[in-house]
Amino acid sequence: MDLVHLLLPHLLNGVALGLLFALIALGFMLIIGVMEVINLAHGSLFALGAYFALSLMTPDGGLRLGIAQVLFDLPVGWRYVIVLLVAPVGVAIVGMGLEMCLRRTYGKDPLYGLLLTFGAALVLEELIRLAWGPTERFIPIPSAITGGIAIGDLIYSKYRFFASGFAILMIGLLWLFLEKTPYGALIKAGAHDSEMVRALGVNLTRLRLFVFGFGTALAAIAGIIMAPIWGIRPHVGVDAVVPAFVIIVLGGVGSFWGAVIAGLLVGMVVGLTGAFATDWSLISMYILLILVVTFRARGLLGKKSILEN
Amino acid sequence: MTVDQLRSWITPPMLVSFAIFGTLPFWIREVGLYPYLGVEVLIFCIYALGYNVLLGYGGLPSFGHGAYFGIGAYAFGIAQLNVVSNLWLCLLAGILAAMLFGAVVALFISHRRGIYFALMTIAFGQMAFFIASKWTSVTKGEDGLLNIARLPVDFGFVSYPIQRNGDFYWFVFACFVVTVIVLWRVVHSPFGKVVQAIKQNEARTAFLGYNVVLYKGLVFALSCAVAGFAGALFAMAQGGAFVQVMNLQWSGVVVLMVLIGGGFVSFWGPVLGVVLYFIARDLLGAYTETWQLWFGLLFMLVVMYKPEGLAGIWQGIVHRKQRPRTSATVHLLAMLKAR
Amino acid sequence: MKIRITRRALLAGTAATAGVTAFAGPWKHNRVWAQKTDKPILIGLTHDASGQFANSGQDEQRGTIMAIEEINAKGGVLGRKLSYIVADTETTPSTATRIAERMINRNEVAFIVGAIQSGVANAIGQVAQKHGVVYFNTNSSSPTEAGKDCQRVKFVWDGTGANFANAAAANAVKTFGKKWLLLTNDYVWGHNTSKATRTTAVQYGADIVDEILVPVGTRDFSPILLKVQQARPDVVAAAVGGDDFKVMRQQTVDMKLDRKPAWLNNQQDWPDVYGLGIDSVFGVFGTTWYHKLDLPGVDDLVKKYQARWPDTRIDVPGNVFYNGYMAMHELAKAIERAGSTNNLKVIRALEGHKMSAKDRMQHGDAYIDPVSHHVQQTIYMAMGNDKPVDKTDYFKILSWASAEEAKDKNEATDCKLQPLDKTPSYEM
Repeated sequence: MDLVHLLLPHLLNGVALGLLFALIALGFMLIIGVMEVINLAHGSLFALGAYFALSLMTPDGGLRLGIAQVLFDLPVGWRYVIVLLVAPVGVAIVGMGLEMCLRRTYGKDPLYGLLLTFGAALVLEELIRLAWGPTERFIPIPSAITGGIAIGDLIYSKYRFFASGFAILMIGLLWLFLEKTPYGALIKAGAHDSEMVRALGVNLTRLRLFVFGFGTALAAIAGIIMAPIWGIRPHVGVDAVVPAFVIIVLGGVGSFWGAVIAGLLVGMVVGLTGAFATDWSLISMYILLILVVTFRARGLLGKKSILEN
Repeated sequence: MTVDQLRSWITPPMLVSFAIFGTLPFWIREVGLYPYLGVEVLIFCIYALGYNVLLGYGGLPSFGHGAYFGIGAYAFGIAQLNVVSNLWLCLLAGILAAMLFGAVVALFISHRRGIYFALMTIAFGQMAFFIASKWTSVTKGEDGLLNIARLPVDFGFVSYPIQRNGDFYWFVFACFVVTVIVLWRVVHSPFGKVVQAIKQNEARTAFLGYNVVLYKGLVFALSCAVAGFAGALFAMAQGGAFVQVMNLQWSGVVVLMVLIGGGFVSFWGPVLGVVLYFIARDLLGAYTETWQLWFGLLFMLVVMYKPEGLAGIWQGIVHRKQRPRTSATVHLLAMLKAR
Repeated sequence: MKIRITRRALLAGTAATAGVTAFAGPWKHNRVWAQKTDKPILIGLTHDASGQFANSGQDEQRGTIMAIEEINAKGGVLGRKLSYIVADTETTPSTATRIAERMINRNEVAFIVGAIQSGVANAIGQVAQKHGVVYFNTNSSSPTEAGKDCQRVKFVWDGTGANFANAAAANAVKTFGKKWLLLTNDYVWGHNTSKATRTTAVQYGADIVDEILVPVGTRDFSPILLKVQQARPDVVAAAVGGDDFKVMRQQTVDMKLDRKPAWLNNQQDWPDVYGLGIDSVFGVFGTTWYHKLDLPGVDDLVKKYQARWPDTRIDVPGNVFYNGYMAMHELAKAIERAGSTNNLKVIRALEGHKMSAKDRMQHGDAYIDPVSHHVQQTIYMAMGNDKPVDKTDYFKILSWASAEEAKDKNEATDCKLQPLDKTPSYEM
C-alpha cells in the first residue's frame, strides 16, 4: 500500500482533531486577551462541560429529580441539542465564579493567579471525581451521527465528520461575533488595550466576567463534542489544556486565524503520530509543547505577548 | 564559635522541631498513630523543604516536581538491585539522577518565568511519568520496582541495621536534621539572597549584574536533588518504587502543602503544611473520602485571602519581634558595598 | 550558648503535649482481651474502592463481606468470630503500603484480603511478607502476580492474562483463522498477556501479522481501528483492559467492526460490562465464573447475593464478587484445617490444597499450586448472548478449559517463593 493511501486516513483524523483543538484554543485565547492571568483550570471546565452534558442526557449521570424525567423521555436527538445549549451555560456560571475568585489576585504577583488556577484545576477535578465517580462515562449520541461510513475500502467514523463540521460552524460563528458585532469589537479592543477600554468608560470588570463566562462556555462545547473521541473521565481536562496552550503560543496570542491554523497543525501532528507510533500519540502533545516553547515562544509571527509577563 | 555564629546554623525553631520529631517514636503510639506515619511525614518534610527553596524563596512554580521524587526512588532501587548494595552509594544515585534530570529540564526553562515555566514543568513531569510507565524493562511499569531493601547504615567500622520501622525512623530523622541545616544555610547564604532577589524583581537583579538564568537553573537543580533524596528514602520506606508519585495530582500535593503551610514567609512553612496534610489525611480521611477536596479548597482560600499561610498566621499571633524582611535587593546592594 | 526558655514557651509546650495525648483519635486500640480465644480474628480488607477499579473494588468487597457474615453465622472459625476493617487503597501503591503497615502495626490484623491493581497487590504483598501476614490477592490478573512477584505469604485467586490466553488461543485458531493481530495495552499486564497469547497461538499455527501498542488512557481508537482494517487479520487478540477496553469496545461496535475480524479479548470483569446493555458485549472473552452456570449452588448464591445487597446497581454476582467470596471462605477453611491462625501453619494448609468442582461451583476441580501459590482453576470462554433469558443474561458460555489446560507454565520457573524458615512467624 503506497504511503499516501496509508497516511490519508490518519491525516483526515488529524484534521478533525485539529479543528476541535482550535475551538478549545479560541476560548482560551479570548480569556487571555482580556485577563491578566492564564487559566490552568480551562481544561477542567472543558471536562465539566462533558459531565454536565452527561447529567442532562441520561439518568445515569446522577440527576434523579422527577422533573428531569421529562427531559430524559425526549428522543435522543432533541436531548442532544438541548444539552449543547444548556450545559455550556452551566459551565459559564462556574467559570464566572472562578473569575470572581481570581479578582483577589489581580495586581499582585502573577504567581498567585497561577497558583490559584492550578488549585482550581485540582479542586474541580476532585469535585468531578466525587460527583460522578472516577471511571469512564459515556454520553448517548443520536444514531444519525454515529456508525461508520465506508469510503474506499475503509470504514471511517461518521461522528468525526459531524464533529469537524460542527467545529467549523462554531469557528465561523465565533468569527462573525468578533468581527461583526459591537460586543465582539469590545472584546477585541479589551484584548488589545484594556486601559484604553476602561478610559472609554466601559465597565472592565463586567467585560472580564462576561468574557470569562463566554470562553469557558466554548471550552464546554468543545468538551461535549469531543466526549465520544476523548472519553469522559476526571483527568481529561489536563490533556485538553496543553494543546490549547501550544496552539496559542504557535499561533500567537490575539491572532484568530493563527489559532485556527496552529490548531490544524497540532491536530495533524497528533494524528500522524497515531499512524506511526500509536503509543507516543498522547505524549506527543507534551513534546510539542516543549519544542514550541523552546524555539518559538513568540509564535510563528514573533510577537511579544502577555504570556511573557 | 560565637553564639551568633552558632545561631546562624542552629536556631530555636530548629531545636523545637528536632525535639518533636526526635521523640516521636516514644509518643506516637500513645496518640493512636504508628511509626510508619512518622517516617512518611519526615520524608515529605524533606521533599517539601527542598521544594520551598524553589517556590517560596525563588518564586518559581514547578507543577511537575513529582517526577524528581519518583526518579530518586527508581534510581535508588535500580542502583541497589543492579549495581551495588551500599546505602550511601544508592542514596547518592537517587540524588544525582534527580539532579541530573532537573539540570536538563533547567536548560529548557531557566530563562522563563510564570506561565511558561509552570507549563513546561508540567510537560516534563508528564513526560517523566510516561517514560517511567513505559520503560517497563527498567521500571517494571505499574507492577512497581519491588524488593528494595533498607540497607544497613554502614560506616565501615560499625553498621546499624534499619530494617524495622523503628530503626528506620531514626535514620530518616538524621537525614531530616542534615537537610534542615543544609537548606537553612543555603537560604541564608549569598546564593540564597540572590534567589530571593530574583523572586522580588528579576530584571533588577539582572541589572545588578547577576546571571539570573544560572541562579534559577541552580536553585531548580537543588530542589530536584532534595526531591530525589526524599524519593530514595521513600523507596526504602515502601520497599519499592511506584510510578504514581510522578503524576500530576501528586506533584500538586507538594505545592498545596508548601503554600498552605506558609512557605512564602517562613522556612518552616513546608513542615507545617506537611504535618497538616497528614493529619487531615489520617483524621478526616477516616470519616470522609472528600478530605482531599477540602484540602484543595483550603489551598484556594489561602491563596486568595492569606497567602502567608499557617506560618503567616503563627507569626501574626506570636508577634515575634522579627526584623522586617528587608527587600532582598537592598541586602544585595549592601553586600556589594561591603566588598 | 544561652537559650532563653520563657515561661510562656514552656506552658505552651506542656499544653500542646497534653492536648495531643488527650486526643486519642478514632484508632486507639485496646489490648484488653482476657483470653486469646475471645478475640475475634481481624481481617484487613484492602479493596481498590476508588480510582480506576472502583466498581470492581466495591464488588469484591461485597464478596468478602458476605462470606465473612456467612462464616460467622455458622459460629466463626475455631470458635472465634471474624471481624474486619476496610481501607481504600485508592488504586495507589503508596497508599496501599501505608494501609498495610497501619493494619499490621496498629490494628494487628490476622490476615489481609483484597486488591485488583497489580502495583497495589505487590505493595501489600511486600509489606505482608516482611511481617509474615498471610495475604489473599483476590482479583489481580497480571501474569507476574504469581510469577516473578510471588511471595510466600501471598495467594492469588484470579485467573491471569496468561490463563485466559491459553484457554482461548487454541480454539480460536481453529475456529476463526490463522492471521492474527495483537492489540497490546502498553503496560506490564498487557505485555505479559500478549506474550502468552502469541506463544500459544503460534503453537497452534497462527501467524502474527502485527502488534499494535495501545497506550494506557487511549480514548481515540480510530487510528488504531484504521490500522486494524488495513492489516485485514482473521483474529484480533486484544490485551486491553479497564477503561481503555470499554472505550475500544464502544468505538469498535459503533463502527460495526466487531463482527469481522473476530475479536478475542482477555478477561471480562462483570462490573465493567453490567448495565451497559447486552449489545455492548463484544468479541470472545474469558471469565472464571458466571451466574447462570448450570451447576448446583449457583442459583442459591445468586439469591443470597440479591437478598444481602438489594441496593447495588449490579443485580447479580459476577466473577469479581465470586473471587472475593471464594477466597474468604477458603481462608476460613484453611484456618480450620491448620487448627490455628499461625501464618506458617495456615500457609502449609493452603499449599497444594485441592478444591472440588462442586465446592467451587465451576465445571472442573481447582487447586492451590504449591510452587506459585496461584489458584489453578477452570477458565470459561464466552461471548455476548444473542438469546438472553432475562436482562442479566449477558454472556453465552462457549466452552471451558480445565485448570491444567489453562495453567501458565512460566510460573514454575519465574516464581521463587521465599523459604518458610525465612518467613517471620505471625499469629493474631
